[in-house]
Amino acid sequence: MRDRLRADARLLPFIAAAVAVFGVLLRGDANLMQAATFAAIDSVPAIGLSLLLGNVAQISLGQAGFFGIGAYTLGLLTTLGEPPGMPPWLAFALGTGAGTLLAAAFGLLLGVIALRFRGHYLAMATLAFGLIAAGVFRESPQLGGAGGIQNIPFPQLGPLTIAGGAAFWYAWAMVALAAWLATNLLRGQSGWAFEAIRNDELAAEAIGVPTRRYKIAAFTFAGGLAGFAGSFYSAYLGTIDPSAVGVSLSIDFLLMVVLGGAGGVAGAIMGATLIGVANVYGHELENWRPVIYGVLVIVVVVFFPNGLAGLVRRPRRRTGARVNGAAALARTQLSAPSAPAQAAEPACWLAVENVSKTFGGLVAVDGVSFALRSGTLSSLIGPNGAGKTTLFNAVCGIGKVDAGRVLVAGRDVTAWRPHRIAGLRVGRSFQNARLFGDMTVLENVAAGAFVLEGATIGADLFGLPASRRCVRAARERAAAVVASLGLEPLAGICAKDLAFGDRRRVELARALAAGPRLLLLDEPAAGLNAAERARLRDDLLALRARGLTLLLIEHDMRLVMEVSDRVMVLDFGRLIADGAPQAVREDPRVVAAYLGTASA
Amino acid sequence: MNAALLSVRTLCAGYGGLAVLRDISLEVREGELVAVLGPNGAGKSTLLRAISRVEATIASGTLTFEGRDLKRLGPEAVVRAGLVQVPEGRELFSELTVDDNLRLGGFVRPAAERDARAAELYERFPALAARRSATAFSLSGGEQQMLAIARALMARPKLLLLDEPSTGLAPQIVTRIFEIVADLRAGGTAVLLVEQNAHLALQYADRAYVVENGSVALQGTGAALAQDERVRTIYLGGAVALRQSQGDNAPCQ
Amino acid sequence: MLQLIVAGLTVGSGYALVALGIHIILRATRIVNFAQGEFVIAGGLLAYSITTWLHASIWVALAGATTIGFGLGLAFERFVLRPAARVGETAETIATIGTVYVLLYGHALIWGSLPQPLPFFSGGERDRLFTLGGVELGAQQLWALALLVVALAVLRLFFDRTTYGKAIRAAANNPLGARLVGIDVDRARAVSVGIAIALAAFGGTLIGPITLVGGAGGVAISIKGFVGAIVGGLDSPLGCTLGGLFVGVLEKLLEGRYGYGIAEPIVYSLLLVTLLVRPAGFFGSRRAVRD
Repeated sequence: MRDRLRADARLLPFIAAAVAVFGVLLRGDANLMQAATFAAIDSVPAIGLSLLLGNVAQISLGQAGFFGIGAYTLGLLTTLGEPPGMPPWLAFALGTGAGTLLAAAFGLLLGVIALRFRGHYLAMATLAFGLIAAGVFRESPQLGGAGGIQNIPFPQLGPLTIAGGAAFWYAWAMVALAAWLATNLLRGQSGWAFEAIRNDELAAEAIGVPTRRYKIAAFTFAGGLAGFAGSFYSAYLGTIDPSAVGVSLSIDFLLMVVLGGAGGVAGAIMGATLIGVANVYGHELENWRPVIYGVLVIVVVVFFPNGLAGLVRRPRRRTGARVNGAAALARTQLSAPSAPAQAAEPACWLAVENVSKTFGGLVAVDGVSFALRSGTLSSLIGPNGAGKTTLFNAVCGIGKVDAGRVLVAGRDVTAWRPHRIAGLRVGRSFQNARLFGDMTVLENVAAGAFVLEGATIGADLFGLPASRRCVRAARERAAAVVASLGLEPLAGICAKDLAFGDRRRVELARALAAGPRLLLLDEPAAGLNAAERARLRDDLLALRARGLTLLLIEHDMRLVMEVSDRVMVLDFGRLIADGAPQAVREDPRVVAAYLGTASA
Repeated sequence: MNAALLSVRTLCAGYGGLAVLRDISLEVREGELVAVLGPNGAGKSTLLRAISRVEATIASGTLTFEGRDLKRLGPEAVVRAGLVQVPEGRELFSELTVDDNLRLGGFVRPAAERDARAAELYERFPALAARRSATAFSLSGGEQQMLAIARALMARPKLLLLDEPSTGLAPQIVTRIFEIVADLRAGGTAVLLVEQNAHLALQYADRAYVVENGSVALQGTGAALAQDERVRTIYLGGAVALRQSQGDNAPCQ
Repeated sequence: MLQLIVAGLTVGSGYALVALGIHIILRATRIVNFAQGEFVIAGGLLAYSITTWLHASIWVALAGATTIGFGLGLAFERFVLRPAARVGETAETIATIGTVYVLLYGHALIWGSLPQPLPFFSGGERDRLFTLGGVELGAQQLWALALLVVALAVLRLFFDRTTYGKAIRAAANNPLGARLVGIDVDRARAVSVGIAIALAAFGGTLIGPITLVGGAGGVAISIKGFVGAIVGGLDSPLGCTLGGLFVGVLEKLLEGRYGYGIAEPIVYSLLLVTLLVRPAGFFGSRRAVRD
């Protein structure tokens, strides 16, 4: 993840220098300056889309709509709205502000709508938005109908009319502003949240990321940027033609971002410039140009998913074949600094009351009740398909229960979203180690620590000290947890390159980073060899010694017998045994459930 | 002793970076019913997937059927060779009818024989004949399992792989399924049966292997293992630690 | 008003064909082909070339365009969809958007940017008109509707009655199960896409004489085809067909009442509203749209 930001850090100074050089050397050539100004105007919405598509993995075909909203708002206000005495610079400022805010507001609306969709449905929903906007622009008589708006006064900054060369500098200043805002977001807690959502939305929720909030924020930001650019565009051009802000523009933005490289800022700028330049100078090529774009998009998306900017990124540190950290890791005692203690530890961290869950006709969980005492380690066992993971999911807020209640620390969390439950100091691991593949081990663990911090999105956006502090604190905490689990040798390795046994350990570290008091582990021993299992056993006992409440789903009976205070057996969704490990093992019903009976 | 039909030797296999099968060896001879038992996560299903060449990747070892190297074949070729699997979860075509599902089982066989074969199977499974035009989705668990088995039989397998056929089924149905499996064996089809219900499987099996942690921990005739206390220990853990399964220190990556 | 409905059914049959093609590809590949409308136009243009450059009859052109369409579909699946699918679903969707550009402007390169006329099925350069119950009908409209019904019947027969057709459905329904039965899932995918594009080309030739092919029409047909597919239900062939017809009729009625431009935003709003209120469409099953 950091390598995207590093690529930006390397490329942006070049881009800035190139712009400066260009602006100074070529100010005589009006055509070139104009082309460069348009490139800048296009870069701003492209940056927004790059963040949406590349960092949050939300495809949007509606950027042109927001661009148009900005353009039309400024156009209307400056041609029709102002009282006659208003100075032009104020009109321009108001128009820009209104255009940006209105576009952002619609961005927020689209973000809310977009929550419901994924994949091609999301593409279609955003496309629909763009089409509706285009249609409204084209058909509304108030907006000038097909003719658009004419005679929009030039942009004014104080006494200065922004035209020609000045427009070039102003436009690129806009790009600088957009880049600054985007980079702030990506450097702050928001950037981590985006990356987590992009890699594995479910895991992000499980570690406490309010995924909905961040997705809406991304759409709002992208919309606002597009509106900001759009308002300048209409003033710069002096007219608005509705066909210029139609769906083809949305697809152009997509092209720019795909070719330049989605995610981060530099790719968007390069893509916008490339397409902008090609459009101006490829004029003779007329119809060849889009065909080439189309072919390029297909080729790039398949072979160079990171676009132009991706070519600049240093190839990630490969660590040879799957690294197995087992040899390198010393057996260390689990001794992470504990999070600030609760005022009073509740007697019972988790209580499940008569919980049932059905899928279609199949009853997965059938009236299960139990309560876990604080500081105990309980195991949930049972044959395949008995409903164990379903029960876990219900406790964590993944999937609604059909009946019953779940209480965490005494609070009824039955209808809560997963990230809220995580906020109650509940940590969880998954059956198949859901790590954030594109993040390093350290970054994964740091992502887990964020639920303890709490920088607001606004603080991130403006790069306020609170934002930096929050990221620093999370990293420090992560480093401590990584050290306590003996994972330092792996800290800089990308999660997707890890060996299996290490993945589980990293997931545990991530869950521990938030200082949980209740830990739910789904088959933590699955796939581990003997040495790894022994280490897991030690870790679990150490965690219990620290006062955590643990609930395990496990199939490894030896481990279960060695660490559990209490064993609960689920069969066909029902709790058939609940008690001390030895007793449960001897229980004939349990034996029958596992081994079957002679007469079936 | 009959010829070995399926031969698995020191096979290492798994998914992506995860090694599940560690140097596992077993064989199935003509006309035998061999059971593969073991706790969850031991690798039983992975074994069947590796054999059918779906989903699992083989890292090393040999896998031959009637002397042919299976590792070189794709899943369709394996079916053509006479090795057919009834997978865990059945994997029926939920939107198609019972009849369609059944007939598609004979996809690799010549079209001419499909009608006759289907008629045979409907006789054997009258419950399916009654529900011929129902969609597979609407069948009960037991009916689905029977359809899955019938579908596999359409391809006239020489060796039938069954992955946990008793999962989620009521006891009477399970008995019926096992009777069918016994009939198949009596008729000369070799069967490799993966089961969680150890007691039942051992009643019917000629030979059995108990798998733990990706390799074979116990093996023997069905009768012998049915009496063996160590089987229970492997499933439920115990104070007596069994001899270390060789799988723990396997050299596989 | 009956006149408008008839006109609506005519354009609607074009949308229905797009919607049906989208359905077939969605079933096989799990993504929506944004370029489906472009393939319709491509088919019409191919038919045009066959009639004008090869001086063949329109019926030969129909067969030819459909066959070439099938081949195009195979190539599209093999060289665009399959490689993109390895990268991810978003990549696949973007690849189909890229294909829109390639086809849209590629058409213009080969055939010029003006729409081209196609000879009518009843022969000659002009449509044969006759009146029935106060409504003016063109022979071409009848041909279009009739052949559309024939095409649908053939498809229905293929997918419901032939072994390979069922095998394709099985592969789409459960690839793992299909492999275990010996079906080559990759080939089934390719054939599905081939059929979908062949259908598009067929449709383009049918409606070509009425609406003219080429120009910028493809994008609008694509999009309205989607709307039809969404409203009718992406996973129901009947739904897609009816949805497409519905959109056509709605469009013409709105145009008749309120003038040309207003119809489009309303149709697109219908898309958004359907996505919000009943994403599975009227005939689709309540499968998780958010999955």
